[in-house]
Amino acid sequence: MAVGSAVFAVSCTGTATTGTKELQKEQQLNRFLAEVERRALRIAEIGVRDREEALDLVQDAMIKLARNYSARSQEEWTPLFYRILQNGVRDWHRKQVVRNRVMTFFGRKAHEDNDYDAVAAAPDPGGRAPDEELQNDEAMQGLETAVHNLPARQREAFMLRTFEGLDVAATAMAMGCSQGSVKTHYSRAVHSLRATLEEHRPDDMFVAEVNR
Amino acid sequence: MKVTDEEFNERARANFDASVDELDAATLSRLNRARHAALAELRQPTRQWSRWVPAAGVAAVALVAVVITQNPVGTYEPPPATVADMEILLGEDSIEMFEELEFYSWLDVAELQDDVS
Repeated sequence: MAVGSAVFAVSCTGTATTGTKELQKEQQLNRFLAEVERRALRIAEIGVRDREEALDLVQDAMIKLARNYSARSQEEWTPLFYRILQNGVRDWHRKQVVRNRVMTFFGRKAHEDNDYDAVAAAPDPGGRAPDEELQNDEAMQGLETAVHNLPARQREAFMLRTFEGLDVAATAMAMGCSQGSVKTHYSRAVHSLRATLEEHRPDDMFVAEVNR
Repeated sequence: MKVTDEEFNERARANFDASVDELDAATLSRLNRARHAALAELRQPTRQWSRWVPAAGVAAVALVAVVITQNPVGTYEPPPATVADMEILLGEDSIEMFEELEFYSWLDVAELQDDVS
């Protein structure tokens, strides 16, 4: 009787420990995703120039991370998440190329990237003065357009390093390339962006391409 | 005035951060739902049987391959001839005996009756 009770107690303790670990893992993942989701959305949006598509890509990346990599250490989640997201963005562009070829073949006008309305997709005003709002929105539009027009690998390197703040090693893991390649892509991206945008005053340095 | 790369990156980062902070409520709600959909994946019970599907498929293919190799279709071979069969085929008398089985049966019966009488 006493032995049976002891075995039952051990069994219950083991189950409770497993449940607690699973709950902790879920809470950790929840915190991580809540932390990165908004930045990830904007990064994906700059990549595909469509908020709805970007939302779908972010959700896919979240689900794949939870399904396949939740057991990995938390330090690996950020580069893994962005690697999944960047792969999704690349796949999206490949599908767009095929779609545009098919549409062109059937004589229809292919979707043009310039249809994206950066003003319509701009965030809501956060209680700022109208002139300040306009200046910031225009600055972001200029930057967004310039970043979007970079070659894909340079765009990825710039967004992960500057917008997300990943270090070179994490960026290399997210992009699936060497650290040397990250440095090269990033350096070229910065120089290209500066060449595009720095004709203007420092205060509205990013407005250059808005009305191009 | 020229800005350094660091200043350039800081401004880019500040603009980006501002755009992130001002995402509208509808978008934030969509992100929230997406996050909970992802977390629901963690609560899905692991389907143990699904791990064995590839191995079972390979095993089934291997079994079919072995069966086909060992028993090829359409190549029936008769059983090998025994020594008795060879004697029947080679002995001239034997062939004649089979042609007149009724006579030899009658002869056996007649001999038995003679012995009895």
